[in-house]
Amino acid sequence: MTIAVVEPWVEAPLRHFVQDAQVTLALLLTPSGQVLGQHGFTRAVDVMAACALAAAIHASSSELGKMLEGKPFAGLHHAGATRQIFLAPAETRRGTLLCLTVFDDATSIGIVQLYFDELRGRLEAGAPGARTPPTGVLADTFEQDLNRNLTLLFRR
Amino acid sequence: MSLVNYATREITCKIVYYGPGRSGKTTNLHYIYGQVPSDRKGRMVSLATQTDRTLFFDFLPLDLGTISGFTTKMQLYTVPGQVYYQTTRKLVLQGADGVVFVADSQARQLEENIESLQDLHANLAEHGIDARLVPLVLQYNKQNLPPELILDMPAMEEALNFRNVPAFAADALHGPGVFETLRGISELVLRRLSGATSSTPSATSGSAVGVDAGRR
Repeated sequence: MTIAVVEPWVEAPLRHFVQDAQVTLALLLTPSGQVLGQHGFTRAVDVMAACALAAAIHASSSELGKMLEGKPFAGLHHAGATRQIFLAPAETRRGTLLCLTVFDDATSIGIVQLYFDELRGRLEAGAPGARTPPTGVLADTFEQDLNRNLTLLFRR
Repeated sequence: MSLVNYATREITCKIVYYGPGRSGKTTNLHYIYGQVPSDRKGRMVSLATQTDRTLFFDFLPLDLGTISGFTTKMQLYTVPGQVYYQTTRKLVLQGADGVVFVADSQARQLEENIESLQDLHANLAEHGIDARLVPLVLQYNKQNLPPELILDMPAMEEALNFRNVPAFAADALHGPGVFETLRGISELVLRRLSGATSSTPSATSGSAVGVDAGRR
């Protein structure tokens, strides 16, 4: 099983979830659409698009929930002909994270929800404190690389 | 906040194109999408109405290549410009590492530009972000239109650029200024990740980059 993560602390909880719930795709992301971990995607750019759309679904359904019930919906489930998606938030010390998962008839929404609750608990227990803005990551001379890459990108 | 993956040496940043309706935000992304080789971009996602007005956002993931040893990815978003999509704009703005404000240079659109800039500041404040600190560049789009219809660069600067941020003239439909704007905001966003936190951006405020090339 291939799990790719941006922050190491999400790897074990995500691995447990994928194994236990038998889902085919899983994404952990921030509400602004940044990926923290994924299983099942083969292209990084597909992951980014899926994250953008998942964040949008969550944002709009949360607002709809607030309008209708005075609070965001706890989760969202779409059932297609062969595949289903489940999207729900998990509160951690790192702030709210979203989990988007895709599954087929190898499992069920009940099983997925059951193990999602476990995932939520593991994320809550394992989350480090709030993230501080990264700095000093790039060399002072980064503009040279940036200009060269953008020039190549736009074939100028 | 930019995501940095030290294990795989990857950086991911979110850039939001903001501005009034029909100012050319989606056109910027379409031009970029058309210019960039397919192995350096993802699918452009557009959540639009049947008349191709942006309903939720446009999204374009871009691979900028290796910068200081880090694979650098930019996620470009647009917001819907129409006044009544206020909530949606706020949602898309969440977590932005940098903002491109696309202004419409037509003289009759000045009021809309100012309102949209105020709306941007209000939405940033609602996210707890100090508008004076977020990386921001201005793009004065449609500078290729006949001079009697538009405000020139100094007039646009006078009306909108009170923070004296980098500003670029553009004709997003045909390309001039699009590349320079992307370079300008990328530089500001990445500067935050570099050791050079205090140096001045090299993008030139008030530059009329390549506008004549797009004049019809």
